[in-house]
Amino acid sequence: MTAAISVTGLTRKYWDQIVLDDVSFTVPGGTITGLLGRNGAGKTTLLRILAGHEFPSSGLVRVLGGAPTENEAVLRRLVFVREDQAYPDIKAGQALRAASWFFPNWDSALASSLLDSFGVRANKAVKRLSRGQRSALGITIGLAARAEVTLFDEPYAGLDAVARQVFYDRLLADFAEFPRTVLLSTHLIDEAAALFEGVIVIDRGRVVLDAPADVLRGAATRVSGPCLAVDALAGGRPVWERRRLGSQASVVMVGPLSQDDREQARSSGLDLTPLSLQQIVVQAAAGVLAPVPEAGFETERTSA
Amino acid sequence: MNTWVTVARYQLMRRASYLALLWILAFCFAVGAVSGAGSRYLFGVVLYFAILGMQTIGRSLPFGLTLGASRRSFCSGTALLGMALAVVSGLVLTALQAIERATGGWWLSLHFFRVTYLLNGPWYATWLTSAVGLFALFVYGMWHGIVNHRWGMLGTLAFIAVQAVLVVAGVLVGNLEHWHVFSGVGGSSAGLTALGLTGVVAALAVLLLAGGHATIRRATV
Repeated sequence: MTAAISVTGLTRKYWDQIVLDDVSFTVPGGTITGLLGRNGAGKTTLLRILAGHEFPSSGLVRVLGGAPTENEAVLRRLVFVREDQAYPDIKAGQALRAASWFFPNWDSALASSLLDSFGVRANKAVKRLSRGQRSALGITIGLAARAEVTLFDEPYAGLDAVARQVFYDRLLADFAEFPRTVLLSTHLIDEAAALFEGVIVIDRGRVVLDAPADVLRGAATRVSGPCLAVDALAGGRPVWERRRLGSQASVVMVGPLSQDDREQARSSGLDLTPLSLQQIVVQAAAGVLAPVPEAGFETERTSA
Repeated sequence: MNTWVTVARYQLMRRASYLALLWILAFCFAVGAVSGAGSRYLFGVVLYFAILGMQTIGRSLPFGLTLGASRRSFCSGTALLGMALAVVSGLVLTALQAIERATGGWWLSLHFFRVTYLLNGPWYATWLTSAVGLFALFVYGMWHGIVNHRWGMLGTLAFIAVQAVLVVAGVLVGNLEHWHVFSGVGGSSAGLTALGLTGVVAALAVLLLAGGHATIRRATV
């Protein structure tokens, strides 16, 4: 699959502060990828650079094969929905109409339907919309644009759980009908985890994890039970975390468990709980992620 | 070019700002008529063009870039809108000037749309001079808006300070000219007609637009 987004050695400095530090990754075309990380990790700056709103200090950025900066051949095929989007003094419907002029694949019916689903009135001034409604407007533009590359930066700030589910459902439905490349930055990792085919985790300006989501889902398991049984199963294997309370122990084992492992755990009375994507991301951001012996799994920090 | 027109349409969405021109014109005319000060109040309309230009940046630029316009196209499309507005407004001023002439100053001997030296010639000169002047003010406002967006209040103050220095230098040069310092080298602005001044303002507008383009090139949103 060809890369829709390709970033090589990207660095962004503000005076003496390094916001992005030698970032490299690719996002295959026709996939939904999660861009995850803590506040201030550099996600928004990265997305702004991908959208041509910000300039890299050094490095190479390619979106749909071209540099995005001042390149309308790329910009017309890309939409960037940001949490802090500023709008001029216009109505919600006018914002959609303006978007329809710029994006060649714009779907007006989808835009109206989404606005209805989110309960946003088209004749309401954007400045009078609540935070959640403004997010809904941004999501509507992002989805109805049907741009080849869609960048979402925390698109659902202020949205309630029902509206967020509407977003996930409509994104998946429209993605199935009109595949495109989606890069979604979010803090609600477990909520959005089912959407992701790939996951990129950024921490302090560096990519600390870049892996297919399927690989990550089985990448670590919490094993708890009697100390001796836990030690017998985990002995000699990489673990992220080890806890002991009296005769009970709990460890997080790295790597997929075999059928034999599961049989051994069952017979020893051990509990096996796969780590969620969010827990894995937390480990990655904490810098304790060990390499998993699985193809396609890339990490920068390897301390166990 | 297509994107320029799209940007111009996008800018026109803030209709209230543009319709305000009519209200300002009516208000200035009323004040001018009542006070008898005439064309002095016409400059209220003219100055509003600079404010309009400033308003086209602000919050319009971030959403414009989100919609996929490049900075260059945003600047050019906005300037295109400014030019169209200036041409139409110039036409309106020319028509009103003709009515003013035909009615003997609105039956009050008022000189509101006839400005001594600047707008007092044939209709085409009035149209050209007013359109070029309004466009220059529009792009001047745009440049201010871009500077403010890029460098904030401090940048705007520095920008104004530089302009103040240039104006002072201009006044000094004007005085030197007055004392015939330049006459020996053949430079003089004496005898410049309204159309000649229009040419100078047109050149200034091009410079202002180039300045705006250069400033927006590295603006971030």
